Amino acid sequence: MFALQLLFNAIVLGAAYALVALGFVLVLNATGAVNFSQGDLVMVGGYAGLALFTWYPAPGILLLPLVLLGMAALGLLVALTAYFPLRRRPPETVFISTIAIGIILQNGANLLFGPEPKRAPALLGEGEIRVGTLVFGLQSIAIVAVAAGLIAGLHILFSHTQFGRRLRATAQDREVASAIGIPVDFMVAATFAVGVALAGVAGLLLARGFFVTPTDGANYMLKAYVAVTIGGWGSIPGAVVGAGLIALFEVVYPALPALFPALVPALDGLPLFSQNASVIVLDALILLILVFRPQGILGAATKARA
Amino acid sequence: MKRIAAACLLLAAFAHEANAVEITIPVLVPLTGFLATEGASQRNGAILAMTTPPAGVSVTYDVSDTGVSPEVAVNALERAAGEAPLAIVAPMLGTQMLAMLPVALEYKTPLLTISGTAAITRQGNPYVFRFFPDDATTKTAQVRYALESKGVKRPAVIYQTTAYGQSGHAEILKALKRAGIPPVYEEALDVSVKDMTPVLAKARAAGADALLLHLHSGPSALLLKAAASGGYRLPIIAGSGLSQPSAVDLLEPSELADVCAETSSSPISAETPAMRSFLDAYRRRFNADPDGFAVAQYDGVGMALEAVAKGATTPAALTQALASTSYAGLAMTYRSDGHGDMAHSAVIICYDGKTRIPTVVAHYTNDAPD
Repeated sequence: MFALQLLFNAIVLGAAYALVALGFVLVLNATGAVNFSQGDLVMVGGYAGLALFTWYPAPGILLLPLVLLGMAALGLLVALTAYFPLRRRPPETVFISTIAIGIILQNGANLLFGPEPKRAPALLGEGEIRVGTLVFGLQSIAIVAVAAGLIAGLHILFSHTQFGRRLRATAQDREVASAIGIPVDFMVAATFAVGVALAGVAGLLLARGFFVTPTDGANYMLKAYVAVTIGGWGSIPGAVVGAGLIALFEVVYPALPALFPALVPALDGLPLFSQNASVIVLDALILLILVFRPQGILGAATKARA
Repeated sequence: MKRIAAACLLLAAFAHEANAVEITIPVLVPLTGFLATEGASQRNGAILAMTTPPAGVSVTYDVSDTGVSPEVAVNALERAAGEAPLAIVAPMLGTQMLAMLPVALEYKTPLLTISGTAAITRQGNPYVFRFFPDDATTKTAQVRYALESKGVKRPAVIYQTTAYGQSGHAEILKALKRAGIPPVYEEALDVSVKDMTPVLAKARAAGADALLLHLHSGPSALLLKAAASGGYRLPIIAGSGLSQPSAVDLLEPSELADVCAETSSSPISAETPAMRSFLDAYRRRFNADPDGFAVAQYDGVGMALEAVAKGATTPAALTQALASTSYAGLAMTYRSDGHGDMAHSAVIICYDGKTRIPTVVAHYTNDAPD
């Protein structure tokens, strides 16, 4: 039963991380540039939910569409300020400009909300469903449901709509897309809107159970980068797989001695399954992937990595 | 007649202002990064003391953010010390303090800090004055309360990987060793760890009968939340991170049931009338609740200002006064132990599971309870 509980916890965390990684990879594909402010945009999503709740104390699920819209608008602003004016410069310029955006967001949040950890509103409420010793919090269930809904929605958008096909064409080759009449700039701007909206929703989902502080962004950015590296640079399914793997390493790997008590005497006090060790093992795995399968688990072999 | 009296009063006020000793005490604290919450408390405590100085003292101050890197802190100190201030409120982050000590020695400027890192007063530097009990004092109080009042026999120790966490961890182990009780489980957590279920499960699997925490405020709240929802009903004696009202606000009162924490003082518990006045003034000024860090820095600056009012108007005289006199502050009576450690008391606060206001359940002065 404990294994199921851990698996559920990992799915919850992985679902939220997947949204962060998806937003990251969408912008990466559309522009070829790494949006280093993605983590800070997650943080902004958490604060957006908190601010909306202060203004109108409704359940988070009702505030969610407003967060989506607001963050999409912020995505357009990021595109207009940090990408479009610099897109003909070397790629490093956009890296730097998005880092600058992240620093502005971080310090802005510190000024507006203060440095203390804060909680965003619960999506459905504080209750929980208990099945034997298993505990399924309503917030956790809502996180999985919302993330699954958004990932399914993205799949439909990209696979079954003309707009999605244009987005994909833009992501694959901007010059050819432009030559066949696709409004590339509009598509890139729309991608920024979608990618940042996903980050914002992830922020709202995470900021209830795991709180939000102005400095959270770097950690989420790192997770997005690692997820995309593991899953496959530029691969949308790969981003989801990578996010899930990170969550498994955070939740399940360190709990292995509790799951399998027979391991404990064999370890003889060695902290092979500590939280720190899980980070070391995950990063060692990344090194192995970079060496032996640089395109990642589901990535195409020809993609270039920033 | 009334006009003449009013004019006399006005003249007296002007004369008083004109005769006031004017001093500068820059405030260098971490306002961004993982210690921003605690740093804001430190800043607020210093500001509150400086805006209510003793008669005859006028204070000016600038606040600088030191972040969490030693380089930024050292640069801020170089800038501030170059303007010949009387003293400097120095950051609570131990790694920053260790880097700043040589600069303070060079400029011969006293540093007023609340860093708990034990090593900062063990460098032979006469210019460092710590107004928060060091980890040896607070962790001894934490361990003694766990063993003596809770009857803990098989503690698990969970701490942060930061310098703050390592320092507290070492002192917890020393205190447990003195009592002859080894921990059954230990784990260091990075500040980015989100899911606390694995660490709780491993502590339980190891047979722990209580958790001794030394975590920052956010991770403390995360762990308590996970413990409550997962049904890990072990007694928890936390570090001072959990004494902060901003951390407690993240939790429901029921999630705080059977939870205690060590700290230097608990202003929100308002044990004395003077602490109640401080609490009211702090709330009026900052629209927030103070914690033990704010009180400690308030007391530290208060001691310096009192020394100035008594004639210690140069850095050398102030250093001498801080090293050789005592001061009855809000939290305790402060006096140097010869190394610059001014605070020698800690308290244990406990939550009842019904409110977020803790009760002070024990006072410890060095190794003996009051």
